[in-house]
Amino acid sequence: MKIIRLLTAVSFLGFVSGTRAAELNLFAWSEYVPQTVIDGFTKETKIKVNYETFASGEEMLAKMLAGGASYDLVQPPDYIAEVLIRNKLLTPIDAKKLPNLKNVAPEFLGMPHDPEQKFTVPFMIGTVGIVVNTDVVKEPIRGYKDVFQPKFKNRIVVVNDNRELVSWVLVTLGLDQNDITPANLAKVKPVLAEWIKLVKVFDSDSPKTALLSGEVDLGVVWSGEAARLYEEDKKFAYILPEEGAHPFVDVMAIPANAENVDAAHKFLDYILRPEVSKLISDEFPYTNPNLEARKLLSEEQLENPASYPKIENYDTFRDIGKAATLIDQLVTDLKSAQ
Amino acid sequence: MSQSGVSQAGRRPGVAGWLMLAPMLVWLAAFVVVPMAILAIYSFCERDELGRVVFSFSTDSYVRVFSPVYLGIFARSIGYAALTTAICIVLGFPVAWVIARASEAWRARLLLLVMIPFWTSFLIRTYAWLTILKSDGLLSALLQHIRIVGAPLELLYTPTAVVIGLVYAYLPFMILPIYASAEKLDVALIEAAHDLGCGPLRTFREVIVPLTKPGIYAGVLLVFVPAIGMFAITDLMGGARVPMIGNVIQNQFFQARDWPFGAALGVVFTLMFVVSYWILQRRSAAA
Repeated sequence: MKIIRLLTAVSFLGFVSGTRAAELNLFAWSEYVPQTVIDGFTKETKIKVNYETFASGEEMLAKMLAGGASYDLVQPPDYIAEVLIRNKLLTPIDAKKLPNLKNVAPEFLGMPHDPEQKFTVPFMIGTVGIVVNTDVVKEPIRGYKDVFQPKFKNRIVVVNDNRELVSWVLVTLGLDQNDITPANLAKVKPVLAEWIKLVKVFDSDSPKTALLSGEVDLGVVWSGEAARLYEEDKKFAYILPEEGAHPFVDVMAIPANAENVDAAHKFLDYILRPEVSKLISDEFPYTNPNLEARKLLSEEQLENPASYPKIENYDTFRDIGKAATLIDQLVTDLKSAQ
Repeated sequence: MSQSGVSQAGRRPGVAGWLMLAPMLVWLAAFVVVPMAILAIYSFCERDELGRVVFSFSTDSYVRVFSPVYLGIFARSIGYAALTTAICIVLGFPVAWVIARASEAWRARLLLLVMIPFWTSFLIRTYAWLTILKSDGLLSALLQHIRIVGAPLELLYTPTAVVIGLVYAYLPFMILPIYASAEKLDVALIEAAHDLGCGPLRTFREVIVPLTKPGIYAGVLLVFVPAIGMFAITDLMGGARVPMIGNVIQNQFFQARDWPFGAALGVVFTLMFVVSYWILQRRSAAA
């Protein structure tokens, strides 16, 4: 009796390790890959997807560097992808296995983070822009200078992201957003000091909350948040700041130590299908780079100014290495000083 | 094992004793000693371009910890924690006292009420406070309805909101230890104080407070220490406008990718705990 039980246990173990091949470890942003898409993929391919989430690109990088976990597919933002490529932490993507890659708009391929288009597939594109509650703020708002005025003190929400804050001041001053030097930060400091005093809420996770509840009337937020606000109420206008707005591209990539490269390619091609990509847009209304999927979207979705703004500049964030410390120091200092 | 332990028990713990202690010792080693050692080592290291820790000796992180900006943040965090602790004592003591003096059946029910909030996730309870405190929220509407205030309350995302959140989160940790002390207090001592001519105030000051001191000290430790490092409440209810030490440490591990500096802040923070614990231990021993 005992032997039979033991044998069952052993064969069960074998069964478990046998199915391991049919699993995909996905490491992606929280609230970015709809459950319906994951379920659809599993139903079709019998590959189980383990969806582990992170809340910032830096967190993702830290966990990848720490090792321990092996991911088959990760979803870094552009500048983190750049770091991963430079440090040879990614497996090249086999474009032959991705027939649906042709659906992606050419302007989102071969971008500065992956100039040879060898390691990444664009997932969604977003911008950081201004949201205005037009019921309350009647005057025209065109750029950062119009938002950060003393009369709007305590009426502003911004994302709680130090690098974003600094980049807005840099472009306002006509400087390069990626040129983080002590000299440039010295120029940023007095302007940012004034801006920070005007802000009521710093919130990266859900900046729309403060706008919806009427706690604030203006915001500088992720476009996906702005798009949802617009879906909620048309009074929330989205404006790309005239000083210059940078888009961000969240990509999918396969880590160098991935165990299931084949399943990763299958998943990539699956989400590049127009009808699947549309499901992602339905739930997370960022800019979909998939042109065939866009054809399936409703008029209303396409007309959402936050989802499909007129992007004129494609200067994304680049990796700034140790300068991240300088930014953190500056913003901590200014926030404490008020 | 301490000297007194040996003399009290009359013998050293045997193999069975050590075996029973083993899980605890392993736990302590794996989750307290080793992480603290890693923290201490990292704090003297440097970071590379990627944010990985490089093992080359440097005291840069500590120089930064003791710069005015970060000392100011430490001071502010301590200030908020001290205010929270003071409010918790003022609010918590009467509650603990009443529960301790209640009949046995009521005592169990009242204690349950104190603990019920723990059945819900801390973050969900904090989000509930957002809906209460926002300017078109419950509190503001109520106060306007009964005409205590004229305009909507601008309470959320202010320092007041942070203190409300902190007091709410830590009040049970003040009530429970004081309750434990107050329950053991012999009523005859209070009656004796009255008989000997003590007024209520003097009885409170000279009999009740000294006898519940161990509970108060335990409560202070349980509230003050974690309140210094709290970062979720300052982010959610304070709007992340003014950084507390917890926020700064958290930032080092994610946005800034500067683990050595984060580790140095953590080490200094832990030393502060040790010192405050030591002071309280000495004072309660003296009492």
